[in-house]
Amino acid sequence: MFQWAWKSLFKQPGNLTGSALGIAFAFILVIFFDAVWQGESEQVVAYPENIKPDIWVMQSGVGNMHMAMSFVWDWKADKIASMPGVKQVTPILYLNNVITAGDTKMFAFIVGLLPDAQRAGPWSMSAGRQLENSGEVIIPDVLSGLTGVGIGDQLRITDRDFTVVGLSSGTYSSANTVLFVPFKDLEDILSSTGTYSYLLVDVDEGIDAKALAAQIRNEVEKVNALPHDEFIKNDFSLARQMGVEIIVMMTAICSVLAALIVAFTSYSLVMRKRQEIAIIKALGVTNRLIFYSVMLQTGLVTLYGFIISVVFALFIIPYIPLLVPQLTLIVSLESLLQLGMIAFIVAISGALLPTHMVLRLDPATAFHV
Amino acid sequence: MSSPILSAQHISKYYGSGHTKVRAVDDVSLDIQPGELVLIMGPSGSGKTTLLSMLGGLLKPSQGAIEIEGIDIAQLKEAELPNIRALKIGFIFQTFNLLDALTVEENILFPSQLRIEKAGQARQRADELIQQLKLERRRFSLPQTLSGGEKQRVAIARALINEPKLILADEPTGNLDSQTGQEVMMILHDIARDHGYAVIMVTHDPRVEDIADRIMWLEDGALRDRKSETHKWVHDPVCGMRIDEWKANIKYEYKDERYVFCSERCKQRFEKNPMEYVSIKK
Repeated sequence: MFQWAWKSLFKQPGNLTGSALGIAFAFILVIFFDAVWQGESEQVVAYPENIKPDIWVMQSGVGNMHMAMSFVWDWKADKIASMPGVKQVTPILYLNNVITAGDTKMFAFIVGLLPDAQRAGPWSMSAGRQLENSGEVIIPDVLSGLTGVGIGDQLRITDRDFTVVGLSSGTYSSANTVLFVPFKDLEDILSSTGTYSYLLVDVDEGIDAKALAAQIRNEVEKVNALPHDEFIKNDFSLARQMGVEIIVMMTAICSVLAALIVAFTSYSLVMRKRQEIAIIKALGVTNRLIFYSVMLQTGLVTLYGFIISVVFALFIIPYIPLLVPQLTLIVSLESLLQLGMIAFIVAISGALLPTHMVLRLDPATAFHV
Repeated sequence: MSSPILSAQHISKYYGSGHTKVRAVDDVSLDIQPGELVLIMGPSGSGKTTLLSMLGGLLKPSQGAIEIEGIDIAQLKEAELPNIRALKIGFIFQTFNLLDALTVEENILFPSQLRIEKAGQARQRADELIQQLKLERRRFSLPQTLSGGEKQRVAIARALINEPKLILADEPTGNLDSQTGQEVMMILHDIARDHGYAVIMVTHDPRVEDIADRIMWLEDGALRDRKSETHKWVHDPVCGMRIDEWKANIKYEYKDERYVFCSERCKQRFEKNPMEYVSIKK
């Protein structure tokens, strides 16, 4: 019986591949949206992830960086710097705002760097130099490619023009573009003095960052101090929360689409094999065996589509950012396993209607042609 | 007399109700003994296929009892019927109804998968049937590459693989040319005569009448007296089958006498030893 199911499925390889490609298309959409979401989520935390101090110190009540605002008095930085076990404190100013690059307006995170705070600056430069003077800015190379604003060109942050002196790499995402400007310039934009946004604390060798962070929270009033891992975790989960509803919705839509394609494929398969199914019923095959056979065929078509989509995910998706540099795509094993589960559910639900039809098929139709 | 393989008592099949009630089969009774070849004939729409479907457990009668080897299949639940069909009945269809994706051998073996038995037994039976029905060279061919006669021989082998006592054939020669049809007929005749199968055949083909043990005429769903027909017939000297001399293709001259045959098989038998058959009237 299963031999018939197997062979009749592969009797028309064109139809089978067409159906599998349809299913694969829906699965590829699921993988792609998930990869975009994963990539964007990772990119949102690219700055803290790459700067990676041992401890982040910020205003009390603030626990992350993405879309956050924090003010810490400068004397608190001095106090922390004098604490035993603290190797170095690097203050930064930080602003979320819209920038204008050429004709393009976009949301960006602007980091103000002190002259001696290169430790908090861009971790990878693709062109140009570091900041040296007032009125200079380092922008992501992808932003430069998208807007045509390059080294020596002007870029506006709030009401001030800056000259691009360097291009950094790994600092662009559609949700979070990181720009670097001199500390004083950002202070001027914010009209503030004597405050920092975040303090990047490095600890001496052998010092437990978690314990020191707790000590800072206890000894310095109205600040929050978190070890790097905890800080990143907060930022990452916030970034994921911001997109999770959209991605869940997209995944649900694509899964329903895949289920419809599977159902249609399975339905077509059953309709094409209607006469043969009536014959095997007449010959004495039970409804249960036929049900399993149709489920097997549906499962195989879905598996075929799943394999095509996984091959696409592993061998094609990684090359898409080369063509579309503004996209950061990450395909994780977890998301592929999740897709496997979706595929299984899709196969089951897609086969329900056709198997129901099979069970109702009258075996006496084997006599009527 | 041995007990019948199949016994149908007062079976009827109605569709609709009230003024729209249609009697497809009306109070039909019949007993079929082992080794009998019974024809069910009648005009189109007379209820032949409906009757055959009920006898084969494919359709429940509205009334009456159908016993196959003592089991009343009309009383069985739907879920119990497939097992009866698989083990006790062999089906032969007009359009052969082979499974396209399977080879000749796989088609023949298909029903055997529904029977619990030792591995290799079914294959051994399949080998014998393939040999008997001269399908050796077609063992691994797909149905689409077979001639009509070959397809029907495969269907016959498939019907016999589980060794059912009852064979139901619906117009088995309907899609075959005259000569091939006669060969298929002879195979079914031999199955009944030599192997003791009960064969019920629905057909329009009058050439089969002389090899049948009984002919039942179904009209308006009920068994009736046979209407007379006017034909000019001669007989195959080997098997005795009635043949339309004007349409017969297989002929042989022996001692200035012309003989016609239903199939090459009969002609070959005749050629081997004509004296054995010449005493039979043409």
